[in-house]
Amino acid sequence: MTRRKASWLVWLRRFTQAAFVLLFIAVFLQAQYQPVNQTGRHVKLFFLLDPFVLISSWLASHTVASGLLFSLLPLGFTFIFGRWFCGWVCPFGSLHNLLSSWSGQTTKVKIATGGYSRWQKTKYYLLLVLLVSSLFGLNLAGWFDPFSVLYRSTATVLYPAVNDGLKSLFGWIYQADPGLGPLKVTSVSEPVYEFLRRTVLPAAQPYFYGTALVAVFFFAVILLNFYRARFWCRYICPLGALLGIAGKNPLIQIERSSELCNQCGLCVANCQGAADPHVPGSWKPAECFYCWNCHSECPKRAVSIGLHLTRGAK
Amino acid sequence: MKVPATLRWLLHFFRPPQPQRLDLGRRSLLLAGAAGVGSTLLVRTSAQGEGHTFNPELIRPPGSVAEDEFLGKCIRCGECMKVCPTNAIHPAVTEGGIAGLWTPVLKMKLGYCDYECNLCSQVCPTQAIQDTALEEKQRIRIGTAFFDRNRCLPWASARACIVCEEHCPTPKKAIWFQDVQVITPDGNNLSVKQPHVNPDLCIGCGICQNKCPITDERGVYVTSVGETRNPGNQALLDSGDG
Repeated sequence: MTRRKASWLVWLRRFTQAAFVLLFIAVFLQAQYQPVNQTGRHVKLFFLLDPFVLISSWLASHTVASGLLFSLLPLGFTFIFGRWFCGWVCPFGSLHNLLSSWSGQTTKVKIATGGYSRWQKTKYYLLLVLLVSSLFGLNLAGWFDPFSVLYRSTATVLYPAVNDGLKSLFGWIYQADPGLGPLKVTSVSEPVYEFLRRTVLPAAQPYFYGTALVAVFFFAVILLNFYRARFWCRYICPLGALLGIAGKNPLIQIERSSELCNQCGLCVANCQGAADPHVPGSWKPAECFYCWNCHSECPKRAVSIGLHLTRGAK
Repeated sequence: MKVPATLRWLLHFFRPPQPQRLDLGRRSLLLAGAAGVGSTLLVRTSAQGEGHTFNPELIRPPGSVAEDEFLGKCIRCGECMKVCPTNAIHPAVTEGGIAGLWTPVLKMKLGYCDYECNLCSQVCPTQAIQDTALEEKQRIRIGTAFFDRNRCLPWASARACIVCEEHCPTPKKAIWFQDVQVITPDGNNLSVKQPHVNPDLCIGCGICQNKCPITDERGVYVTSVGETRNPGNQALLDSGDG
């Protein structure tokens, strides 16, 4: 069984994901004293697209930071078209997507484990727990909000670690100064390091208290991708749950043709959300990220994705 | 009811072609709701919740709203921690109780609140740290400094030191000196300036603590008392000079 080349729609999705990841990194780096006491309001961009933050903070404090109202746009979009946000926009989702693709699980295993599991309901219950506590004035949304987890972990763990690592690496090169005769490695490494320091690295090494806990949480979530693809998105993410509820009956639907299907299982093996595209009539839009893998992988072109309007409704 | 053809697609949301039920189960939903209520009550009854006690180390960024409201708004995203130019803001572990895990607290040993900066209030997405103009922020008190007379050099060791006063950024310095004759270990007289904090002027920025040359346990330190955002966490009944 040769692997089919991914369709152009899958490539469009990957490109979009990469663009949003780069955007996340760009606005992350912009959040600094640069070198005046002014950062653009765009540095909190991703939180402004997060309806979970909007709802939990409104429930808990009965006020809303006006910028958060932007998040009604993705919510409305999801209501009409489905949970595309998770598959195409969310940078945390894209990180899980990338790591899942490195899990090295065989197609056989993925077919066996790739179907819908009732444990995927956990995220809806978690969402409810968090929203109910918000209603009672305690906003714990940030423990599980995907953008909060990603930003917090990047700011206090990954970014300091990357800076420290690069400092050590370039410091070692500078000390050792390996080279061939007159050709010195430092004549390349030093300008590179200088460039990085001017563009993406912090002015001073950041240090944070209590990062062990942040790191353990983050890496546990990350490593779970090797157990099930996009574990976080399928089982935990409360924003995903909110968007799943909003998008449980979208206009864009996936259909599988029983005539063309040869039951090979490639669609379910590559389904990121375990949304069961392979079982007739049981595709679950609330779990679907619209990654188009089922459509792209199907050797028989049995999966179709498209507008699905009610015709001749009584 | 006859629906015009142009609007028929709207019916989709009410009568889906294939009903896609999201069956979460009534019992499980009730359990989850109860868990939400239960966890809230559990966290609230902890001694550090909701301002029954005030943790001296729970120093929030300037512009932060009162603690109850803060825990309702803060999403622990870390924007303030990233943006702080002095690396003063850290994710809380125990300072704010269970409910405060990963909310921002200032650690003056690693950083201090820069007088000319209000970036944390600019980046906070939920207004847990309210967007305040710089001039306004410069009057917000996030805590109050205290001298540890057992460690501060002019107090404890008969040595001259004025580092804290030199760094104090308020227009009228919040640290003032008393000239005192002390006896050195050699038995000589020495005139030193023993520092005091004027709690009416101190804004708790922590630069004194940050710059104090006693590197491990500082001779001056900031605690949260007197913070503008919490009317309950005040030490002073009245200002000294009326």
